[in-house]
Amino acid sequence: MLHHFIPDAEPPPRSRGGEPSIVVVPIGARDVLRAAFVWNLAFEIAREGASADIVGPDDGDPTALWPYVGAGPLGTGVTIAAAHGPADLLRAARDLADARTAESTHGIVLARVPPGWLGTAADAGTLLRWSLLFSAADRRDLLETYALAKRLLCAAPSMRIGVVIHGVRRVAEAERAFSRLAQAARRHLGARIASYGLLVDDLHLVRSIASRRPVGLVHPQSPAARALRDVARLILADACGDGDA
Amino acid sequence: MRRLALAPVPPDPDLRALVRARLGDLGLALRVLAEDVTGLDASIDAVTVDLRGTVVLVLIGTAGRDLELLAHALAQRAWVREHMGDWLKLAPALGIESDAPVRLLLLAPAFGPRSLAAARAVDPEGIDLAVYRCVRNGAETDVLLEPVRLSGGDVAGHEDPTDVTAVPFRTGLTDADLGLSAAERRLFD
Repeated sequence: MLHHFIPDAEPPPRSRGGEPSIVVVPIGARDVLRAAFVWNLAFEIAREGASADIVGPDDGDPTALWPYVGAGPLGTGVTIAAAHGPADLLRAARDLADARTAESTHGIVLARVPPGWLGTAADAGTLLRWSLLFSAADRRDLLETYALAKRLLCAAPSMRIGVVIHGVRRVAEAERAFSRLAQAARRHLGARIASYGLLVDDLHLVRSIASRRPVGLVHPQSPAARALRDVARLILADACGDGDA
Repeated sequence: MRRLALAPVPPDPDLRALVRARLGDLGLALRVLAEDVTGLDASIDAVTVDLRGTVVLVLIGTAGRDLELLAHALAQRAWVREHMGDWLKLAPALGIESDAPVRLLLLAPAFGPRSLAAARAVDPEGIDLAVYRCVRNGAETDVLLEPVRLSGGDVAGHEDPTDVTAVPFRTGLTDADLGLSAAERRLFD
């Protein structure tokens, strides 16, 4: 089990009455790698029996990031919203969550927010409660991830920030990377970030982008699929309110 | 002897033209069929054909995005394979060998170990990698290409001499956009 490195999470933003949780994922318009993580993660969340939707803004060609728009495997969905800022986008995510409430006991809406929008993210108000960041273990990626966390916390100081470390070969490498991020956030931002584990460096992920089929569907027992599944379970545990033990 | 001075990477069309002029340096005899071709919802820098009629897709990446370039290229190759039949019907005189596999030639300022391992594992015979360096040539910019060996012995990823502070992050933000203090940056040194 690839698990939390440090069990220091604040109480998670619980799903209210089965309403899917909205998780902000800052992803640039050409960041196909992180988009692939999110898309594969949505599939694993759905496989756990929860609803899983991705919503993103109409800021270019959506199929540059996502393999399709609309319904996908296991009821996952990609929705493109005519949003002009984070508030618009997260309202669209909330509408999607509301629509899902009647159908599902719990679930996740992953809202892809362009990083350039985070400066005005405070406009989204209380919808800005939970964010998931993906970082490699190298200095440059950690700096970028820290900067994203800083922007998010400026917009919503009580926001829960979760981090997944990717592209590592060993758990110890991910632990060190997360530890550096966590220490920097604690010292300079006065915030505690939560670990959502790691994604191993697995070629199946690269192939899934090309084939446009989730890793968990094509190679369900691959290290990449299993790691994604662990991340999905951690997220769902927090969304259901039983991950803060 | 004059020292080579690195130059900023020119805009895409200029870079494509420079690379096109230097493809012979890689020992590849490629005939360019079309440039800046819209493939799978994104652009393929050049569609070329070699002497055997094999289609070679040329894709040029930017610093720090070599793994992204590989994923993009694999997706584009899958798309081209699907559409090869149409191309052959529309333009049988292109000299394309219908049964030949579609090859990839990827160019980037550097290839990291993950990209090299991925390329080697996915298709070492069908993917060629080369690093490019933009250098000053008098008042103009030229490009130098150097092949990266994928099979047969150790691979070399090449150090990236690019000033990383000017290269956008994957998020699209630049170093200046991050707005971090020196003290914050030191925590990651």
